[in-house]
Amino acid sequence: MAAAWLEKLKSAQKTCLIQDGRRKIHFTFPDGQELAEEYDLRNNELVVRKWRKRGTMGGIGKWETEVGDDSGMKNLEVEGMVENSSNPVFVRKDTVAQFQWRIRNLPYPLSNYKVSVDDEKRELVIRTENKKYYKRFNIPDMDRLHLGLKQDQISIAHANNTLIVSYQKPKEVLDMEQSLQAEFKKMKASKDGDIDCNPS
Amino acid sequence: MSLCPPGGTYKHPGGMAASTAEKVQEVREVTRIERIGAHSHIRGLGLDDALEARQTSQGMVGQLEARRAAGVILEMIKIAGRAVLIAGQPGTGKTAIAMGMAQALGSDTPFTSIAGSEIFSLEMGKTEALTQAFRKSIGVRIKEETEIIEGEVVEIQIDRPATGTGAKVGKLTLKTTEMETIYDLGQKMIESLTKEKVQAGDIVTIDKATGKITKLGRSFTRARDYDAMGPQTKFVQCPEGELQKRKEVVHTVTLHEIDVINSRTQGFLALFSGDTGEIKSEVREQINSKVAEWREEGKAEIVPGVLFIDEVHMLDIECFSFLNRALETDMAPILIMATNRGITRIRGTQYLSPHGVPIDLLDRLLIVSTKPYEEKEIKQILKIRCEEEDVEMSDDALTVLTRIGMETSLRYSIQLITAANLVCRKRKGTEVDVDDIKRVYSLFLDESRSTQFLKEYQQEFMFNEVGESIDMLNECFY
Repeated sequence: MAAAWLEKLKSAQKTCLIQDGRRKIHFTFPDGQELAEEYDLRNNELVVRKWRKRGTMGGIGKWETEVGDDSGMKNLEVEGMVENSSNPVFVRKDTVAQFQWRIRNLPYPLSNYKVSVDDEKRELVIRTENKKYYKRFNIPDMDRLHLGLKQDQISIAHANNTLIVSYQKPKEVLDMEQSLQAEFKKMKASKDGDIDCNPS
Repeated sequence: MSLCPPGGTYKHPGGMAASTAEKVQEVREVTRIERIGAHSHIRGLGLDDALEARQTSQGMVGQLEARRAAGVILEMIKIAGRAVLIAGQPGTGKTAIAMGMAQALGSDTPFTSIAGSEIFSLEMGKTEALTQAFRKSIGVRIKEETEIIEGEVVEIQIDRPATGTGAKVGKLTLKTTEMETIYDLGQKMIESLTKEKVQAGDIVTIDKATGKITKLGRSFTRARDYDAMGPQTKFVQCPEGELQKRKEVVHTVTLHEIDVINSRTQGFLALFSGDTGEIKSEVREQINSKVAEWREEGKAEIVPGVLFIDEVHMLDIECFSFLNRALETDMAPILIMATNRGITRIRGTQYLSPHGVPIDLLDRLLIVSTKPYEEKEIKQILKIRCEEEDVEMSDDALTVLTRIGMETSLRYSIQLITAANLVCRKRKGTEVDVDDIKRVYSLFLDESRSTQFLKEYQQEFMFNEVGESIDMLNECFY
């Protein structure tokens, strides 16, 4: 299962850059899709992963963040309507051993939240007792490897107005990530600032 | 927001005391005075199932044959490259017929209306403007996944800045059965929310990409608020789950819109390309083949539409030869043209031709002619316009106005409706009567009386001598 995803990454055109203590890799797939990933050099944690797909009508799409913070300034006039900054903000931020989601701006106590697995849709569901927040989301990494979600792998915590939902990464995911890291190490990365301009 | 009085009460600030002027401002803010276009009363072609024209229907009066012909044209919309010319004297309902066709086609069929003089712009070439008009009239029905926000309005708050001018600030709180979110609103969104008269308790969907707002109905939990309910108020359940959803929707976009999406240069490159609004022909070719591909795969469907060019005699010979060629492509819409000219010069040449259109193009056209209205038809049209403009008029006044319409023109008599209504309201009357009509008839000249007046007093106008010398110059040239 893992092989298919690895093959897809291998078939893509890749560019690698080391900058600000991060390994930044850009993939362009044959169908025009783009993937950008950033890994922390110290512990190989995935910091950012985002996708850009072609629109149905053509034209260049928008970046869609899968992992990492995308709360960059949104232009109100361009977007038409933007969620107010006091709303809960949903961000995925993995550690090496866990998938992790942080929802900021949630002041309610831990007892207010209920996180469950929806097997049919392969999604995690966050509910609130006071009906203020609700979120369904999948784990794309698990979908790519066709692994099922298990309720007992979920743990939640609450501190500093933030709800933290963690899901233990299964062995298959850990193995694949390790082999990916090994591949990335082999890639020739250009350092920040000096662009290789040797005439060949 | 407070309640909106239905129908909109229109008050004149001029006649009010200064102290109440502020209040009037407020009233105007809540319900804008609806402006009425010249053809706003037209709702369709007024044909029955057998394509026979009814004498008076859907705002249309008379012109039975022309309307029947228009109905036949609508049936042949599937065939590409058909063109029609509606010819007739001024004020015989040419534009009305075109508008009726647009209405009869429904909102899903693209209908583009331009005036012949519109294409002469410094921004882009004549043929580019025409090509864009052509491509705006061909629709593509395609499935697309879009992000929509669906929820019940908890609160809508729109604040005007304390200074009275400048950008408005808005907040919208939406909820589902499970969650609640506050949104900041941009200018455009504030405008469309005000236009749709969205208020707390409404269930709405907002298309994030286009900003289109659809009111689904009122929430069941608000069923007890009898205050702001029209007869067609629908009650719906509060949506469940997340506010933002991805939904697959089928919608119609025009070829022109696809062109624009694919030609917009990104980032700093736009600085160099100079965005003149012209679209490269390579982009168009690419899109054509892409659309053909979609069609073969069953992903998309072509919806041929209608392009209406009013005052077509304003086009010049280059445009006509372009039209000749453009009508031959399989992506051509139905082309409807209207003109009020007889045999006249083709713009850009010295040649005379019927309707100012070259013979070779005329040969490709089906020509529909409109005839001057009869007295009872004029009366009927005036009656419809009175209803449209919310004017009460006595039968005698209508008869007088009809006579004026017969002797001068239909357009002039239609103009008098509003003027007479204002005069009537100033004398605090409720119904326009013959005196009001007489009054405005003496106040405003029609075209022939104005000409008469000029003939009599020509000597006293400025530059009279210059005018004569220009006449002489003209005589030398032609």
